[in-house]
Amino acid sequence: MPDSGYPWPISTTRLDNGLRVVVSEDRTAPAVAVNLWYDVGSRHEPAGQTGFAHLFEHLMFEGSVNVAKTEHMKLVQGAGGSLNATTNPDRTNYFETVPAEHLELALWLEADRMGGLVPALTQETLDNQRDVVKNERRQRYENVPYGDAWLRLLPLLYPPGHPYHHATIGSMADLNAADLATFQAFHQTYYAPNNAVLTVVGDTTGEEVVALAEKYFGAIPPRLEIPPAPDGRVVPATGVPAGETVVADVPAPRVYLAHRTYPFGSPGYDVVTVLATVLGSGRGSRLYQRLADGERIAQPDLVGAYGVDLAHAPAPLIATATARPGISGERLAAGLAEVVDELATVPVTAAELDRAKALLTTAWWRQMSTVDGRADVLGRYATQFGDPATVAERLPAWLAVTADQIAAAAAEVLAAADRVTLTYLPEEKA
Amino acid sequence: MTLIADRPGPGAARPYRFPQVVRRAVAGGEVVAAHLPGQNLAVALLLLDAGAGREPVGKEGLGGVLAKALEEGTTQRDATSYALAIEALGTELVTALDWDTFQASVQVPVERLGAAVELLAEAVRTPKLDPDDVRRVRDDEATALRMDWANPGPRADAVLRADLFGADNRWGRPMYGDPGSVAGLDVEDVTVFHSEWFIRPGTLVVAGDLDRIDLDALAAAAFSGTGGGPVDRGAPIEVPLRTGRRIILVDRPGSVQSTLRLGHPAPHRAHPDHVPIALAGTVLGGAFTSRLNHLIREVRGYTYGIRGDFASSRRFGRFAVSSGVQTAVTAPALVEAVGEIARTQAGGVTEDELAVARSWRAGQLSVELQSPRSIAGALTTLVVHDLPDDYHARLRESLLAADVAQVSTAAAAHLYPESLTLVIEGDAAVIRDELVVTGLGEVIDATP
Repeated sequence: MPDSGYPWPISTTRLDNGLRVVVSEDRTAPAVAVNLWYDVGSRHEPAGQTGFAHLFEHLMFEGSVNVAKTEHMKLVQGAGGSLNATTNPDRTNYFETVPAEHLELALWLEADRMGGLVPALTQETLDNQRDVVKNERRQRYENVPYGDAWLRLLPLLYPPGHPYHHATIGSMADLNAADLATFQAFHQTYYAPNNAVLTVVGDTTGEEVVALAEKYFGAIPPRLEIPPAPDGRVVPATGVPAGETVVADVPAPRVYLAHRTYPFGSPGYDVVTVLATVLGSGRGSRLYQRLADGERIAQPDLVGAYGVDLAHAPAPLIATATARPGISGERLAAGLAEVVDELATVPVTAAELDRAKALLTTAWWRQMSTVDGRADVLGRYATQFGDPATVAERLPAWLAVTADQIAAAAAEVLAAADRVTLTYLPEEKA
Repeated sequence: MTLIADRPGPGAARPYRFPQVVRRAVAGGEVVAAHLPGQNLAVALLLLDAGAGREPVGKEGLGGVLAKALEEGTTQRDATSYALAIEALGTELVTALDWDTFQASVQVPVERLGAAVELLAEAVRTPKLDPDDVRRVRDDEATALRMDWANPGPRADAVLRADLFGADNRWGRPMYGDPGSVAGLDVEDVTVFHSEWFIRPGTLVVAGDLDRIDLDALAAAAFSGTGGGPVDRGAPIEVPLRTGRRIILVDRPGSVQSTLRLGHPAPHRAHPDHVPIALAGTVLGGAFTSRLNHLIREVRGYTYGIRGDFASSRRFGRFAVSSGVQTAVTAPALVEAVGEIARTQAGGVTEDELAVARSWRAGQLSVELQSPRSIAGALTTLVVHDLPDDYHARLRESLLAADVAQVSTAAAAHLYPESLTLVIEGDAAVIRDELVVTGLGEVIDATP
């Protein structure tokens, strides 16, 4: 077992304004990854403002006090860099990887939009990016078969008022209602240095990064009171299975089984991570072996299970299968449930456990094989657990999971009474 | 104001480095490897001259079915045992197919690479190919394609390809086949394709810490039991351009977006204008900051994204633009996209735009070539296109040296706005009349 999942140096500094600066030096490639995690996500959105954290993320690329509209992308790409941003229920992150000589440019750009976005925000920009986001919603969720599964699963898993009840993309009605003042307030409330972690990984030094962070971010004032998201850590069990059947223009029946498990980062979620791999990752997994190969009721490439790594409430575990021709949704759902139920009753063998741990080990080192992959995990661990160095503990923790722990976790959180079942059925064609 | 207004300039540029390349002829095959000191993960990729271009007309999708059938058991063990053995090493057998090559690869912690390559070779060289298994895999693949074709995109892609290259030619049909072509394959098609193309040695590409990898042992495993030499790869294909623009409408009732696929034939990969063509494509549609994305997304808000590029294989190439736009703005989006292509062809690029494009493409050769998987991909380019070890460094120099005149000349010579085929997949009942009114070309209904 490796002692560490992170064999690179890590240094952490906190500026006077509260900005945490994490640096991990690696001279292998002449590139640096810059990554900002802001501790705000769709879990902070009140009713009527769904989709705002994500729409706001778009606005962050549209210029700030010293950066003209469209210039942000142009400067990073013109420096040879790759860049993007993502929003999820937990957080929003912004990242670019650039040739090392452009580190200072990247920090200047990030500081300018952290400290100076609001004066540059215009109605025209908001209207344009609202249209872009609505097209993102059409493209990713509405115009593809089964595309809205995640949007349907969340409200079945988490009750109204829970921070994970609604999906990050938001509703069209809320997006249409978004006004400029709300976004100005959103930035002033959450985009403060003391609500962010700046991580830099690659061809640089801790001294250089801290000095540059001080220079560009140091004068941005902290915000004293940042309102927390609603507390979602306890989700009362209803004791009644939840479900929904959707008849839609889909090519075959598909079933999703979902459960609330444990928050990402907890020992229980480490067990669930290994459990999900045993259950649904690869041709050697239980779902593949039983449903695709054994009973042959599921399409081979469309069977699987995965946890969604959310940290602020019991995170979902989702198992899914799509029916082979002639197989009903009912039969598929029963087959899927049977395999999930057996996790509590049929002990995981040593071979199953070793297989899962080997796949997770490769996945871990793949994440670590780029400076941007490392910057993202360091930002996550600093933001969510207060110490980026704890990233080193995750892989050893996965490798220490036992078969008994998997059976116990399955008995505790995968019971049929706590299950959400979402079934898609094809429309009857005339 | 608390922020620093002045934009900082760049620091001292680091020298460009591509990993050291090692080439070796071993056990009847070729090994091409990149040394990644200290890297814990390693990738091995077996590259065979068995791409979609080798499939007979009417047998599209053969390579894909064979790829799946490789994992249905070998002469040594059944499918379940094989899956458990390879996944116990931490990898799946990853297969991929393009016009020029078939690829099978593994990605594992470096100390497991030898065992993983042995299992890779076992599946590729000695699959069981039991007839019942092959038939079942074929049926599964046909269903998988049918499901994929329920998404917007694959039908439009197929219609564009057929219109550009002619459906009588293999390269005028979908690279992965279609649900019907796959359903029509029989067991013998698969076994013959295997014996013809999968027991030639090919090239083993390796990316990892070579101080911890025994290349000779990997090669011995990868090339064991192989025979037959290279086969002529065929000359570049002359593809005629259309004399006029046309719109082909693919009906997708109820679609909330229209899928755009616009294109025309373009040069093959070894064309001497490759670099300026790539840069012209980058300015027009390749980067976020491109003309197309700027206008259609950032100014108009018609789409989540639009991109265009020149793509090429050994024998042919194409220019294409793709996007999904809100149904209500299909016609204006199409008119404006064609307008940008025409403007670029007629007026070329500006220094301001080209500066971004050349720096971006050059920088990506550092930024995007870090992981063993991406380095293996870069080595694959060297092998498929017969390029030297220092290709990436030279490419970087060529990109940085390209000037406005060269790139504008390439845009003028290789963009054909009057010969574009404009495929629109969307709700025909809603958009047809507007498409006719655009006057961009005759509107034709795709045959279902």
